Amino acid sequence: MFDPMDDASERIARHLRRAVRIDPALDERVMREITALSAPDRATWVGQMWRWLRRPHQITLTPLGGLAAAATLAAVVILGRMDSRPPAARETESRAFQFVLIAPRATRVSLVGDFNDWDATRTPMSRAGSKALWTAVVPLEPGRYHYAFFVDGSRWLADPSAPVARDEDYGAPSSVLTVGGGGS
Amino acid sequence: MRPPFTARVLALLATMLVAGRAAAQQLDPRLERLDPATRPAVAALVDSARAASLPTEPLVQRALEGATKRASGEVIVAAVRRLAVDLGRAREALGSTASPAELSAGAAALRAGASQTTLAELRHARREPLIVPLAVLADLVASGVPVDSAAAAVLALSRQARDAELVEFRRAVERDIALGAPPAAATAAAATTTMASYGVNAGARPQRPGRP
Repeated sequence: MFDPMDDASERIARHLRRAVRIDPALDERVMREITALSAPDRATWVGQMWRWLRRPHQITLTPLGGLAAAATLAAVVILGRMDSRPPAARETESRAFQFVLIAPRATRVSLVGDFNDWDATRTPMSRAGSKALWTAVVPLEPGRYHYAFFVDGSRWLADPSAPVARDEDYGAPSSVLTVGGGGS
Repeated sequence: MRPPFTARVLALLATMLVAGRAAAQQLDPRLERLDPATRPAVAALVDSARAASLPTEPLVQRALEGATKRASGEVIVAAVRRLAVDLGRAREALGSTASPAELSAGAAALRAGASQTTLAELRHARREPLIVPLAVLADLVASGVPVDSAAAAVLALSRQARDAELVEFRRAVERDIALGAPPAAATAAAATTTMASYGVNAGARPQRPGRP
């Protein structure tokens, strides 16, 4: 019995068994193109990194690995928020405060306190108008600050116009300035 | 066999993250001003405070104050330790949402003799920052006002008074004490005057935007 499908299959198979001629220079051309494409990036680690960053990636994690990554991220966020310096947003506006001391016999006066790391070299006071009046202006954010005047490199003076800081630890007198978030 | 490139990049990023955090937690260079025997003890206290999520800047400043005033190492360590304890107690009373400045002022109020209960009541009585009420409380006690009188007056005023009014109240008390009035009586008189001003001017007081 004649089956037209057998005949067609036979012809297709014969065609496919025939050897195909390929240009002998093809391999060389393809390899040259590939080399030209990857050469600049392969040269440096940075190029390789750049290519990696531009390509989409699928990252597979085990549930344990995922939990570990989440825990690491949470730890970084929590540790970052523990920094003592950043105050609440409403407490960040700073205002300039003028400190004044009347010390006619002083030759050198420094303002020293929580706002300048208690460093006597940071905020030297200057004479204003009369020889007796010493002033300094310091920008302060809301908070409660201890400070004192350091006179002639040897004497500590509290600010007579400010509340006294009760201090059983260090003895030398100091004063308190409170800067509120509002209009104080 | 080398690990895949993706794994190497992830490892590098993780290392950078950890190294950055470790660098941030290195010894505060300002503590170099302490003598070598005192430095590690203060640094350990600062680290403990940081681990407990307490503000560390007040502790550093307390240590630097001692160094500048030429206090002995033992005294500096004791002062820093005492402040760390007070900061912890202040946070217990004021809650974990208290700002570093509030905790610092709360620690001063506790050191002056106020109770944790007073601090907690202030927290509930006032929605605005507590820096000024707590500082006024500490300052009044330092001026010689009995702590119970100071706490009662500040608590009563804090429900309505603004920061500037509380500061004015403190000045009035200190003025009267300087003029010879007994501290408790001066406090009661100034508190009455301040509260009376609310009754007279309550309707005319402008509201600040965004504040209750």
